[in-house]
Amino acid sequence: MTTITVAWIALPLFIGFSGYLLPRAGRQLALGVALSSLVYSLFVILEDLSFTLELLDNFGVTLMVDSLSGFFILTNALVTAAVVLYCWQQNKSKFFYTQTVILHGCVNAVFVCADLISLYVALEVIGIAVFLLIAYPRTDRSIWIALRYLFVSNTAMLFYLLGAALVYQHSRSFAFTALQTAPMDAIALLFVGLLTKGGIFISGLWLPLTHSESETPVSALLSGVVVKSGIFPLARFALMFPDIDPLVRFFGVGTALLGVGYAVFEKDTKRMLAFHTVSQLGFVLAAPEVGGFYALTHGLVKSALFLAAGNLPSRNLKVLHHEPMSRSVWVALAIASFSISGFPLLSGFGAKVLTMKNLLPWQVVGMNVAALGTAISFAKFIFLPSSSDDKSPVKPGFWAAMVLLLGGLVFANVVYYEAYTLGNTVKPLVTIGVGWAAYFVIFRRVSLKLPRVVEQFDHLIGVMSLLLMLLFGMVLA
Amino acid sequence: MGDGRVLMDQILASLIQGHSVLGLANAEGLAPKSVLEACVFATVLIGFVGIILKRNLMMKTLAMDVMSTGVIAFYVLVAARPGLFTPILAEDGDIAYADPVPQAVILTAIVIGFSIQALMLVGVMKLARDNPTLETSEIERSHTP
Repeated sequence: MTTITVAWIALPLFIGFSGYLLPRAGRQLALGVALSSLVYSLFVILEDLSFTLELLDNFGVTLMVDSLSGFFILTNALVTAAVVLYCWQQNKSKFFYTQTVILHGCVNAVFVCADLISLYVALEVIGIAVFLLIAYPRTDRSIWIALRYLFVSNTAMLFYLLGAALVYQHSRSFAFTALQTAPMDAIALLFVGLLTKGGIFISGLWLPLTHSESETPVSALLSGVVVKSGIFPLARFALMFPDIDPLVRFFGVGTALLGVGYAVFEKDTKRMLAFHTVSQLGFVLAAPEVGGFYALTHGLVKSALFLAAGNLPSRNLKVLHHEPMSRSVWVALAIASFSISGFPLLSGFGAKVLTMKNLLPWQVVGMNVAALGTAISFAKFIFLPSSSDDKSPVKPGFWAAMVLLLGGLVFANVVYYEAYTLGNTVKPLVTIGVGWAAYFVIFRRVSLKLPRVVEQFDHLIGVMSLLLMLLFGMVLA
Repeated sequence: MGDGRVLMDQILASLIQGHSVLGLANAEGLAPKSVLEACVFATVLIGFVGIILKRNLMMKTLAMDVMSTGVIAFYVLVAARPGLFTPILAEDGDIAYADPVPQAVILTAIVIGFSIQALMLVGVMKLARDNPTLETSEIERSHTP
């Protein structure tokens, strides 16, 4: 298993660089890499493997594979494959596929590594690859968005690096297990880095602009898997150390409410989806022991939604009320919206039931409010008009991607089929009913424009210092 | 010039090893190592505040570099805790070696840091064509939808 794991991690990096030299094979190679991850992750999940590898000796790289990482890798594989299929006939350059493959490999590395420095390296390379993907159109705006992203993520990672040094100073090791005895300030610093990178709570306010202004396939990749590279280590820490668990759960609830609070008032489709990502990551962190499955369903749904939103006639929801979209795109959009609202028959339902079951008592109210907010915000999509005459036919790759993502949503039901009891089924239906009612009575009419001042660059950096204060207060309390 | 450098080296070495420098640190009642540590953290903080307060994008990028210099210095300091000698295995007995692990680790981080710095400077250069003043607030205003 050691050889297979190491070969599988090295494969994307190898293919990424050598694929750049081969003529016109970028997309096939990218798809191949995604498939290899798919096979690997299914193997890990189905065989219920769990093992730790130490490469070289004490100070070498530590890897840890279990079903949690299995689910995250599966998400990565499916989303990357869908994005490659979506771009199949769009004449993307080799450079685009190279970056996608390298990004895929680094995200995989995050999901299996178990020491602070490998994690650091993987996260930084992710930052670089994402920068290049966002800046790919080379317009001034895309360069600015990419620069802003890299700036925020690199500053956060400097805090992380400081935290890692403190951990080492105390326990002479960079392995995750060394956190057991680490001083509290080290944990606070590590958290600032990971929370910012993962787009959680107030430190995640960089995310909406970045995800909404990127190109459609890049948005899908970012929201589908890349943000999960920041939250996976948090979930891992929460599972390993009971002391850290309440901290992670707290940020889960906080971000779920913050994101959904913005999302219900948002009138721009892509921005709403991006804010919703901030919120949904909270569901993953609110119950870390089942976070893997939630991350899988969210990754599939969110990339499907971003790909569908990229094929709408307008980004503005008000315009979309007057300008019907094509019926077939609407169907895809509605299926994804139903899944994310927790409607039975789709795996979003199972994931939500499972998460709700694993909440602590103090989290229940907050997470139910967040679930209600989800139903409200996706009612905006479900009740958009559609018409059967196709004015602007969608790209052929779109359907291949949708079949993969939505098929995955239906198929993933098998993971937790025990969810289908009467009590479990009624509750989400009630939530959705109340949400839709609230949408028609209140939110359809209000046009409240929330100020964007907190998304300004200086504030994004400044928020890190606030978060650091908050974390110091929390860990010392 | 050469003498000054030697003096600097001596001061640094004695700071790291915990002797007093010219009686300064001990007069204050502080352990000299923590003086150095305080300087390192001050560097990180100055860089961080610089990112927020400087208006020019170029200066912000440089401030981030200052911050990362502070972080790197902290790793070097952590590595110097057990001793200062280059960790090359020698026959003769008990030598206070520096810890090679943080040094090796920070070497990776330095490489990553400067490649990111280079990438960002390229981005800044591209932006400078249409925004010659590189004022962040201006760039932001014209690129927020």
